[in-house]
Amino acid sequence: MKRLVFKITHNGREWVVRNESMTLSSPTLDELDIRMGELLRERGEIGQGERVRVIMEFDSSSIPQWIRQYTHHYFDRVVEIEG
Amino acid sequence: MAQPERRWYTGMLTTEDWWAVWLGVGFFFLSLFTLAGVDLVGWITYPTKWVFSPPPEGKGAIGHAFYALGKKYSVTAKGFYKGLGWWSVIWTYVIFTIATCIGAGAMKWNVKRFFVGWTIIYFLTIACWFIGHHAFIAANKLNMRQYGLNFALSLGGGGSFILALIVGLIIGNFFRGFARFLSEAAKPEWYIKTAIVTLGVKLGYLPIKLAGMSQKLGKEAAGLTFELFVAGAAATIVAYMIFWPGVYIISRKIFNLPRKTAAVLGSGISICGVSAAVATGGAVRAKPVVSIMVSALVVVWAVIELIILPGFYTHVWPTTKDPLVAGAAMGMSVKTDGADAAAGELMDEFMRNKIEVETNGAVKWPAGIITSSAVMTKVWIDMFIGIWAFVLAMVWVYRIERRPGEKVPASEVWHRFPKFVLGYFFCWFFLLALYFGPGQSGAPEAMPFLKSVKAGAVPIEKGMRKLFFMLTFMSLGIITDFKKLREAQFGKMVWVYFVSLFFFIIPVAALIAYLFHHGMQIPNIAGYVKP
Amino acid sequence: MAEEVKQKKEISGTGSLTGEALEAEDVLAGAEEWDPVETKLVLWSFVIAIIALIIGLLVVPTSVFN
Repeated sequence: MKRLVFKITHNGREWVVRNESMTLSSPTLDELDIRMGELLRERGEIGQGERVRVIMEFDSSSIPQWIRQYTHHYFDRVVEIEG
Repeated sequence: MAQPERRWYTGMLTTEDWWAVWLGVGFFFLSLFTLAGVDLVGWITYPTKWVFSPPPEGKGAIGHAFYALGKKYSVTAKGFYKGLGWWSVIWTYVIFTIATCIGAGAMKWNVKRFFVGWTIIYFLTIACWFIGHHAFIAANKLNMRQYGLNFALSLGGGGSFILALIVGLIIGNFFRGFARFLSEAAKPEWYIKTAIVTLGVKLGYLPIKLAGMSQKLGKEAAGLTFELFVAGAAATIVAYMIFWPGVYIISRKIFNLPRKTAAVLGSGISICGVSAAVATGGAVRAKPVVSIMVSALVVVWAVIELIILPGFYTHVWPTTKDPLVAGAAMGMSVKTDGADAAAGELMDEFMRNKIEVETNGAVKWPAGIITSSAVMTKVWIDMFIGIWAFVLAMVWVYRIERRPGEKVPASEVWHRFPKFVLGYFFCWFFLLALYFGPGQSGAPEAMPFLKSVKAGAVPIEKGMRKLFFMLTFMSLGIITDFKKLREAQFGKMVWVYFVSLFFFIIPVAALIAYLFHHGMQIPNIAGYVKP
Repeated sequence: MAEEVKQKKEISGTGSLTGEALEAEDVLAGAEEWDPVETKLVLWSFVIAIIALIIGLLVVPTSVFN
């Protein structure tokens, strides 16, 4: 299955997902996943009936440094999106 | 270019967790050179009790207040290390500065700021260590006369810890600008994780040390550490599965908090503080601000526990009658590794002094066993959070929020695994292997070999460990700002924390610790050491 | 748009997710109704705790049972 890797963080109002070629933001993860699907279809990253595994790794560098010494891993999301 | 994916080894050179392993295990390996007749760690400094005017036949010359541990324990370079005296403070500073600055650089911190902050924190720590070892503070009624005193506070090494914490708290609460300046190097979790790796050396060395007194004592010590390991695991799992839902219910039903906040608070208050709050926040897909707010509270409450619990457990319940119940309860009650290990170490000093005074010197406990019991339950808790967060993630993703297409990768368990624990177990089991293998479980013919192991292990398990504990106390104080508790946005959470901690977590932890540790005995070494 | 770009810069690599800087009201407000799945979650936790306690007390050599 094709894999697309993104960084994800939160800016206080919205979840922000980005990689070198695109940035997407949304207040909820539900909406984010829907918009991600739409965007990938628009850009031709998913073909009809094809499944893509979207990996959203939390950007640890956005965690305040004083917290990073306790733990540096928030989450990695894996979402499978169908074309 | 595609985004590089997180791998199992990602972060090995860029996180504090791994750097605690590299520091701890790195110096442990250096210590093993004693087996080849080369002592590379004897320079590590250590304080001893002192007074301004020692009696003519007594002890406590100020010129000997710090010494290189190699002076006492080295097999091959005793003469050289004897000559270091106070210079061992500088040797220790230079070598640990190089090591920690390499770590800071690899973690992409501002090395210049770290260096300046570290230097200030190191020398403030040494000053507290020195003052805390004035015989008036550290001696007890059994040995105060050697220093020409008629009264002493009997705090042992605990006085230095308290002093370091007080100095740190004064900086953190009254000199906030200075505290911010020091923040690059005020890293209690990094220091304590490093100290916990060296506590692994302590655990492995304990049977070797006691074998030097008698082979039977050595075997008893090896058995005791294994019992702590098993009892700690059982107690932790039980406590975990009672704490979390308990605090969740209190948060939801009594304080009417939203689900995600209750889940994060449930972990933060009841499990392992900041790391649990962050892991659970991620697991339930909460906005990071929830974990950050809970974490800000956790660090302050943990220090309040550190101030209250060691004295309470030593003098009120369970006292010296059940020291390992107290240790295990501490590990399950005090959130954050730093505050817990620090509280355990403080209690270790208090209890050892108390039992010695109570029995008029007839009972003496080896240092570090009570600390180890406090850290053992905490280490199990730290490991278990990854699994619990994984379970919560599945419940949230598959049952509560039911987001289509989202999967919970099992790799999350590894990414949340506390890596410093690997260093802790590695050092422990490595030394145990030496004890049971070439050390022949302390048989008399293996004593020369075990003495070489001891020459390397003591500077690490005693000098480096205590220094990093001291650094932890100081840094904890510096980053703890009690003003946080007054901030309005935390209002309700402060109360949830207070009610949960004092009326639920601490009593239940004590009960569970009692069920699994009641009656465990620390070996008495009074007959084998100088009074 | 410019603000958005600035914001993206802020959140990257600076550890800027601080409690003070972010909106925190909805962290404490807006409690949802208690859901049956939450009952299941807490009950299962307690059940596991009781099972672990019984097994632990029987198996662990230092427990009060032994």
